[in-house]
Amino acid sequence: MELLYGLIYLVAAPVAGGLLTGLDRKVSARMQGRVGPPLLQPFYDVMKHFQKEKVVVAKIQNVFVLGYLLFMAFTGALFFSGGDILLVIFAMTLSHVFLVLGAYSTNSPYSFIGAERELVQMMAFEPMVILAAAGMYLATGSFYVSDIAGTGKALALLLPGLLLGFLYVLAFKLRKSPFDISSSRHAHQEIVKGITTEFTGSTLGRVEIAEWYELVLMLGFVYLFFGWSPPLALVAVALAYFLELVVDNSFPRLKWPFAVKSSWVAALALGMTNVAVLWYFARGVV
Amino acid sequence: MSLFRMAKTALKNLASKPATQMYPAKPARKFKSTRGRVENDMDKCILCGLCQRKCPCVAIRVDRDERTWEIDRFRCVTCGCCVEVCPVKSLRMENDYTKSTTEPKMKDSYKSTNPNIPGLKPAPQKKAKA
Amino acid sequence: MQKRIVIPFGPQHPVLPEPIHLDLVLEDERVVDAIPSIGYLHRGLEKLVDKREFPEYVYVIERTCGICSFIHGLSYCQAVEEMMKIEVPERALFLRTIGSEYSRLHSHLLTLGCLADGMGFENLFMGFWRVRERVLNRMEESLGGRVIQGTCKVGGVRKDMDGEMLERMKAELDVLDKEMKEMTGVLLRDDAVKYRMKGIGVLPKKDAFELGAVGPTGRGSGVRIDLRERGYAAYGKIGFEPVLETAGDCYARTAVRCRELLLSTRIIRQCIGKIPDGPIETKVTGNPNGEYASRVEQPRGEAVHYAKGDGGRYLKRFRIRTPTFANIPSLVHMLKGYELADVPVIIMSIDPCISCTER
Repeated sequence: MELLYGLIYLVAAPVAGGLLTGLDRKVSARMQGRVGPPLLQPFYDVMKHFQKEKVVVAKIQNVFVLGYLLFMAFTGALFFSGGDILLVIFAMTLSHVFLVLGAYSTNSPYSFIGAERELVQMMAFEPMVILAAAGMYLATGSFYVSDIAGTGKALALLLPGLLLGFLYVLAFKLRKSPFDISSSRHAHQEIVKGITTEFTGSTLGRVEIAEWYELVLMLGFVYLFFGWSPPLALVAVALAYFLELVVDNSFPRLKWPFAVKSSWVAALALGMTNVAVLWYFARGVV
Repeated sequence: MSLFRMAKTALKNLASKPATQMYPAKPARKFKSTRGRVENDMDKCILCGLCQRKCPCVAIRVDRDERTWEIDRFRCVTCGCCVEVCPVKSLRMENDYTKSTTEPKMKDSYKSTNPNIPGLKPAPQKKAKA
Repeated sequence: MQKRIVIPFGPQHPVLPEPIHLDLVLEDERVVDAIPSIGYLHRGLEKLVDKREFPEYVYVIERTCGICSFIHGLSYCQAVEEMMKIEVPERALFLRTIGSEYSRLHSHLLTLGCLADGMGFENLFMGFWRVRERVLNRMEESLGGRVIQGTCKVGGVRKDMDGEMLERMKAELDVLDKEMKEMTGVLLRDDAVKYRMKGIGVLPKKDAFELGAVGPTGRGSGVRIDLRERGYAAYGKIGFEPVLETAGDCYARTAVRCRELLLSTRIIRQCIGKIPDGPIETKVTGNPNGEYASRVEQPRGEAVHYAKGDGGRYLKRFRIRTPTFANIPSLVHMLKGYELADVPVIIMSIDPCISCTER
């Protein structure tokens, strides 16, 4: 049964991710006073990418990017079929490492610096995500996503610090200002398009689809915090996404030392405190 | 700590109409003095060639034998020199822009319909059928 | 051991408005040296002086640059008029001043937008360009074009502005002031934006003076160099104070430009109040003979136009020294010691206009 959910995710997540990305671009454009592209524009873009000529610098980069896509899809399928949340987190890290290796293999200075920054970015948000998993274990007693989603407990009220911390680092994962330090949607940063600079054609199309998988997975994480009431959870996910768009449109890009420092401070202040408080109470109860 | 200063404008923009227009589906905004394209009234043009001499872009070509006045739209920058210098005021500046094209050449050629051009024999008239 | 890599910044780069090539030598993301090379936009406009007679050459000179085009035309006309000893009527001088200040507004709004874009703040970029649209509409209505106006000619101006249009312009200046204050408020007072600009790209006053920095680049470091004080066109009849800042970092240069926006609207108001009636051009007879160097204040700094004629319809030589060319040594000096993430902000803060630099 749960395997079915995983399979549905594999098929439906790109569609949902693409529609959400299209909505993101349209709403961002309206916030800037423009009309914006049509809603299905990301699909047109990806189809165009697949029609383009393959110009590769080092053939191994195709292997790495394929690894990135497959592992991201696997991670998401694992999450939605109720698997172990720790495995989900580490498999996601593995898929990003594949992307970084793909960028390193191209020998271009822009990809090189983009890859370094992607590693720094991973260093910045990993603590928060792991603390979130630990907090959910303490609140529900299980590491399995199916148990966390099915629990009757109001996780958002038990883990407010973790929720806020997670929303803070969501900007890293979704590649939005102020933390789009390795590769942003808009490609006008000092390192051109950062980690994806040297990818063209079907490789870039695969990176785009993998980002859609990741988007749905991240919103699934936010859903988990409100799992006890599905309608409320869907509203919360929509609000969280809208909040990300407002933040994206109100901040310039901040430099990576500040990004790392601030996310660790957020992890410590919000995450650790929350986990410590929970642990204290859990010991008292159990 | 002053942050999110732009958020107010962002949300206000979200609630109001966009500032941009879907051109060319909607017509472009134009004023009385918009420099759109140069047009010539062939009834008045005397094919003197002053516009050809004054044009800084060498966009106009006047052929007295063929009785044509030709303008290369890609070279024309709508500066208005020709309009100012025309002695009979047959050239004028329209407000509409030239429509885009997919051809690599855009030369508009017009035949003169002015029967009295000083210095040229009148054009041979076709005999009217009875 | 620190690794040195060389990053080619430009000529094609999404952040740059125009192609300039900088080879950045980096050690662990810190810039150690920068080697500029220009020449990607050279069109040979100065050679055209043999082929276009001097009244038509103004159209070529205007198209040196799209952002500072009005003032290029103005400077050319001034150079030729001084050579031929032509007296331009007062009304034309005032109209030229109004056009110059509108051009300055348009240029500063464009630059500030591109600076916000270089920082990754697209919304502010769109906000600034939205205000710029107002200025462009007024320029199209009154002067004849959005970006290339074609207004200045040897002997005066080509188009007149009647009293009703001047009143409308004056009323709109208040709306402009309000919108500009809102946008510059975000740029100057938002903490996240300040973090990207304060302390970055510091140019001390002594270095700015020795390296020959002009315009807001020099005024941001405290060097008082503003050619409008010399009183060309109608500036001699209007009272104003140039804007100076002392810190010498990106924030100071941006603050100079933001304050100059408000200064420009003040100057335009004064012009509209003081403009006399009269003709707008004088008849030009004869040919230029002699030489003259005309200096004007472009939005980016001081520009020098040197003209030489020998009595024929064609000028013998025309040479432009643009402000960005004078600012490039300062740019190279400013880049050393800062991180790669600061490079776009520093480059955009000197306001590079490469198409002027390499006509």
